[in-house]
Amino acid sequence: MDELAQAIRAEAARLLAEDVVDVVIGFQAGSLALRPQPAFFTDASGVDTLIYNGFCQNNLATYLARRSREERVGIVCRGCESRAIRVLVSEHRHDREGLYLIGIPCEGIIDWRKAEREAGLGPGGFAEVLSVSEQGDEVLLSTRRGEYRLQRERVLHDSCKRCAYPDPVGTDITLGEPAGADAREPRWGLVDAFEALSPEERYQSFVQEAERCIRCYACREACPMCYCTECFVDYTTPRWAESMITPSGTHAWHIIRAFHQTGRCASCGACERACPMDIKMTYLTDKLDRDMLEQYDYEVGAAEGAPPPFATFTLDDQDQFVR
Amino acid sequence: MIKILPKADLATTIDQWRVEATVYAPVRQEEVVGFQPLTGSGNGCFTLDANSRYPPKSLFLPQSEALFRVAGSDLEPVEGDLSERIVFGIRPCDARACQLLDGVFAGTEYTDPYWSEKRRHTTLVALGCTDPCETCFCTAVGSGPFDSRGADVMLTDIGEVYVAQADTAQGEALLSRLQDASQEQIDASSQAQAEARAAMARPFELDGIRETLYGLFDDEFWYDVQQPCLGCGVCTFLCPTCHCFDIVDEAQRGERVRNWDTCMFQIYSQEASGHNPRPTNVERTRQRIMHKYAYFGELYDEVGCTGCGRCVRYCPAGIDMRQIIRSSQSRG
Amino acid sequence: MEKSTQNPYQPMPMYIARTAVETEDHSLRSVELAFQHDSDRERFFSGYRPGQFCQLSIFGKGEASFGVASAAWEGSFVRFTINKIGVFTKAIHGMQPGDPIGMRGALGTWYPVEEWKGADIVVIGGGYAFTTLYALTKHLLDPKLRQEYGDLTVIYGAREPGLFLYKPEMKMWSRRDDVTLFQTIDTPREDWDGLTGYVPTVTKELAPRADNAVAFVCGPPVMIKFTLPVLNELGFPPDRIYTSLERRMKCGIGKCGRCNIGPKYVCKDGPVFSLAALGELPAEF
Repeated sequence: MDELAQAIRAEAARLLAEDVVDVVIGFQAGSLALRPQPAFFTDASGVDTLIYNGFCQNNLATYLARRSREERVGIVCRGCESRAIRVLVSEHRHDREGLYLIGIPCEGIIDWRKAEREAGLGPGGFAEVLSVSEQGDEVLLSTRRGEYRLQRERVLHDSCKRCAYPDPVGTDITLGEPAGADAREPRWGLVDAFEALSPEERYQSFVQEAERCIRCYACREACPMCYCTECFVDYTTPRWAESMITPSGTHAWHIIRAFHQTGRCASCGACERACPMDIKMTYLTDKLDRDMLEQYDYEVGAAEGAPPPFATFTLDDQDQFVR
Repeated sequence: MIKILPKADLATTIDQWRVEATVYAPVRQEEVVGFQPLTGSGNGCFTLDANSRYPPKSLFLPQSEALFRVAGSDLEPVEGDLSERIVFGIRPCDARACQLLDGVFAGTEYTDPYWSEKRRHTTLVALGCTDPCETCFCTAVGSGPFDSRGADVMLTDIGEVYVAQADTAQGEALLSRLQDASQEQIDASSQAQAEARAAMARPFELDGIRETLYGLFDDEFWYDVQQPCLGCGVCTFLCPTCHCFDIVDEAQRGERVRNWDTCMFQIYSQEASGHNPRPTNVERTRQRIMHKYAYFGELYDEVGCTGCGRCVRYCPAGIDMRQIIRSSQSRG
Repeated sequence: MEKSTQNPYQPMPMYIARTAVETEDHSLRSVELAFQHDSDRERFFSGYRPGQFCQLSIFGKGEASFGVASAAWEGSFVRFTINKIGVFTKAIHGMQPGDPIGMRGALGTWYPVEEWKGADIVVIGGGYAFTTLYALTKHLLDPKLRQEYGDLTVIYGAREPGLFLYKPEMKMWSRRDDVTLFQTIDTPREDWDGLTGYVPTVTKELAPRADNAVAFVCGPPVMIKFTLPVLNELGFPPDRIYTSLERRMKCGIGKCGRCNIGPKYVCKDGPVFSLAALGELPAEF
């Protein structure tokens, strides 16, 4: 992992020194070892603070919407980020020429909350971790009180266990060795499990997850595909979702947001990682992703330059209503 | 008044309280701990090993609350639930935060009846922190793991028993049937409190923070701070001292409601003309930090933060509020 | 719950007494509200001063803040002049005499004329921000009050003649000798023989005397931005220049947090601020 970080640093420094980009988006150490922060490097001399490890949990592509369109941006991307960027480019949010993708094969993002539990660190214990080291199947946490050796499999983020695209696509350069596309768990495992439930059970399951929602919209802000300057949830006419944390409002929020992801969601799981209330929501978008694959033979980010499925109309569309 | 509450008697004591009041306590549902009304008996119903994720300010300022209901062409105030409540196991940071918010809701020429009525009918039995978390920083903001301001009763765990100190009439009424604490037990609790306080590292000192932040008002500092910030509402909604709210007419329900709002959302200050005095995340982040650590203090004489650490723990971008204050001081 | 007096979020029940279109393009309309309860009316007028605002309430559309555009002596109604700009204001524009409406107020600070007895008063307004300055001028034109002040000068600018508010009143003011009114439009027109030029320019040309004078300035941000330096040059010190600020508001009573500028709430510590007070606040406009 450290070699990879060094390689990223070198590439970032080069891009900035040679004026290929105005900014490189990557990660830096925050004040807490298990919580690296997204970082924005504008000077080659500043890249020494750039890090990369399995705790880098943000989808960096979401920051593209927060930069000026005139900026040339270098961006560290794993499989999910690179596929999200393909969609953003197809939706004309960015010109591909203005982006430089530094591809990183991904071994899966580690859930710091799982790590805290596995190590038996107690509430707030994650903050005691002074340094981390990843060695093959193990993750080593060093604290003042001692060292904790964890199995990577047991602390991986749920979405990452099902990931079918750990290697980045459409990059300008790829560092490190390919991770290979063998998902640890079946890609559609969540969808299958949900579909095995009766309609009543499905509803109960959905309601139970949504109950904890506090409408903080961290899921929306963490998602690269949610870039609308005016989100539907803030509309008053019509009132798509009532403002209160009532089932009516919250259910509408989750369902409509999932639908807005159809054909766009890269299954990165950043939404779940951002949620402060541990709400599971990727089962909704996974279902829509599979529908797109089965019904329209469309997979997010699989092909460079693929037009957005819901904004493209052709004469031989299978749906009659278009003609 | 200082009494003892043996842990062996905790369940029966709570059952006695439940005769006269609804008792709220931290309840664990999988990994999420939240304050819920106790419906059953016994120590297994609640958990005291972690603070709640969602702040208990929600018991006085619900995240969504109907203020008025339509009655013909008038609006009738909604009568809240005014039954007696006891909140057991609230931490000093959260109890103190409710006291700070009393300044906002009841301390000026206008009293918010919705807040005040709930406060009047609620007794806070705080559990002091003998083992503060790494992310806690109450001592840095003028509070501490046994700060009893805001609590009606403060419990100190000394092993087999809690030493229970009541500082208000409401608290004394609750403890009246318990045995008095011995001098030895009182000493043990003072010892535990001092040890807990001493064990906490202070990530920053607050001296001159107001001047420092005002001095940085036009500085690039805020641009740097906000770069990784996603502009979501996690830090504000989980914060026990944040109090901003929106008032909305939900016509389909016939109610005028208020919901928690956050200065971090873009439309928070946006005017009907389209003009927005805080148009980018830079101004909004500056407002967030300065309101907590500068403006609040000018209005209510105390920093608007009790160091609970939720913002540090749950920020999805790993932004650490303590780090921001530290950086402001080395920058300013 | 308690009586409406004790719930600061509860609107007083009012009804629309009169409406009038103010501008040629119908974008501005005045409404005069009457009280349903005498006790509300008494309480309102015992405290109201020009410069203050009210939260008007229409269920289903919410609440919005409007500066009061009438003086207390005018009668037992409260006037507001409203620009049709969004959902709420569109609803008010469609209301007729007799329609019920809610009101909370009077809220906020007022133009503190009582602190400046004996001074000359200079009122400078632009566009539809003139409403509270109109209330202030009318308040001062009450004969009992008028004698306690020196000269009263009003400089009022609009983009074009059709956009002036209170046209009949402006005509009358032109003929009075206890107020000197200057109306100006942006650019010359055939049907206008008054002054032309933007308010800051006209103010500079008219050069109102600054010693023992107080200025009350209200208008779109750009007008205020350029008028203040003119007043400065004329010799008005910051504690003798007052303006009224606008912000998105909800509670109107300093609790919901959103209208603050630094530690001050525009709803409670404003909307009227002296320039001296504004100078102490962070520059967040």
